[in-house]
Amino acid sequence: MHETDERRLIEGAQRDPGRFAEVYEANFARVYAYVARRVPRREEAEDVTAEVFQQALAGLGQFEWQGTPFIAWLLGIAAHLVAKRWKGAVAKEEVPVDELELAANEGHVEQQTLFAQLIERLPEDQRRVIEARFFGQRGIREIAKDMGRSEGAIKQLQFRALETLRDQIGNRHE
Amino acid sequence: MNDFNIEKLDKHVDALLDGRVPARDADTFRLGELEDVAKELSLLPRPDFRASLWANLASSAATRPSGASEAQRATVIPPMFSSSSLTFPMRGSHLAVSFGLHVAALALITASGLWVVENRAVVRSTVAQLIPADSDYVMPVAPGKPAGGGGGGGDHDKMDASHGTAPRFAAEQLTPPLAVVRNEHPALPAEPTLIGPPDIVLPQSDRLGDPMANILNPPSNGTGSGGGIGSGEGGGIGSGKGPGIGPGYGGGIGGGIYRVGGGVSAPRPIYDPDPEYSEEARKAKFQGTVLLSAVIGPDGKPKDLRIMRSVGMGLDQKALDAVWKWRFAPGMRNEKPVSVLVSIEVSFRLY
Repeated sequence: MHETDERRLIEGAQRDPGRFAEVYEANFARVYAYVARRVPRREEAEDVTAEVFQQALAGLGQFEWQGTPFIAWLLGIAAHLVAKRWKGAVAKEEVPVDELELAANEGHVEQQTLFAQLIERLPEDQRRVIEARFFGQRGIREIAKDMGRSEGAIKQLQFRALETLRDQIGNRHE
Repeated sequence: MNDFNIEKLDKHVDALLDGRVPARDADTFRLGELEDVAKELSLLPRPDFRASLWANLASSAATRPSGASEAQRATVIPPMFSSSSLTFPMRGSHLAVSFGLHVAALALITASGLWVVENRAVVRSTVAQLIPADSDYVMPVAPGKPAGGGGGGGDHDKMDASHGTAPRFAAEQLTPPLAVVRNEHPALPAEPTLIGPPDIVLPQSDRLGDPMANILNPPSNGTGSGGGIGSGEGGGIGSGKGPGIGPGYGGGIGGGIYRVGGGVSAPRPIYDPDPEYSEEARKAKFQGTVLLSAVIGPDGKPKDLRIMRSVGMGLDQKALDAVWKWRFAPGMRNEKPVSVLVSIEVSFRLY
């Protein structure tokens, strides 16, 4: 997003919190990708992401535009919250996020977006197993029961789906 | 890929989903790649998470006030008994504290007003009043009285007194000065003197006469009477009366510092700020009148201020301090400003 557009977006949300939806949509994937690589479990990544946006919404009035991308401010909040989780206490009120981290995070965002798209393109039974296993966090036995298949067959589907994804990612990178 | 690797991969997926780091298997490069893919999948957000989070945020955003920043809202003064989206909620404790402060402030104002009323005399006692010798400071010209100081004499000579020097001043006079000695062999010869301050040294010579006279010869005692030299009377020199020299009467030197009267007008104060009340006298609620003497010079400034009657309590100094600042239209004699001795009463009163 161009700096002028982003500034207009932020200032609009400062005047009217109802417009925070646009800010959220523009930055959700970046914040989540940043947090997900810094906490061990998906549930924690979701909790931290939710807290980042709650704090951003509450503190948006204090945000002053100084030429730094707005995502840096959001990731600063995220880094602070992650540090709290790791250390159990507040180490620093502000955790700066440098340009290298911002660039690396953009790569992670792209990769997550790509994976989400590739999952959608998997064969139906493979996609169902992947969604149930990774998003539903269900065990092989439960999935097998739901799909009316043997546990061995579900494990095979999981294996093939991961191979498919690996191959398609590899093709994209070549 | 055999069943062993499929089982191993599934266990690694379990570990990833539990937030554990699975041990890498170095034997199979292919399995390691699949583990990386599985790890990426374990990091993806649940498909419904984005929407559910926004649902929560949207409700928060809807309850937040719009149109002003936090800092701007902090400057909005909340009404006491109503609330709006731009104001803070009313808190009972704050209202009680505010009420108490207002009551205290009102009590303080009332108490200070009562104190001022009860102590009015003390508060207003800073005003001092200048009361001159008469009801008006401009001293009245004493009718018929000659100007003070000086003396005169003569022996009814037809000629005016001749020029010469005056004898010395002394506390008493045995023989008046004479330019023409009528009795050259007196029974009790005595030095001629004038009555006046002995420490005042006048120019001396062998020829006695009126220093102000223009006639050198022939010597003459002047047209006055009572001995002495001049047109006056009384054994002195000059036109006055008495054993002194110069115009005026009573001895000493006339024509220097005048008193009001005899053609000498009184000085008139043109800048006379009130004196301050001393703190000591104010606390004691002491009243009194200080009498000062002062010479008002031709320049209108007071000189030689002296306390003639003291009242103490620091009021004497306050009177002096005030009168030193006064400025006068000087006293006049023959249309010329002259130094005039005056008395000033400074009254300090509580009212």
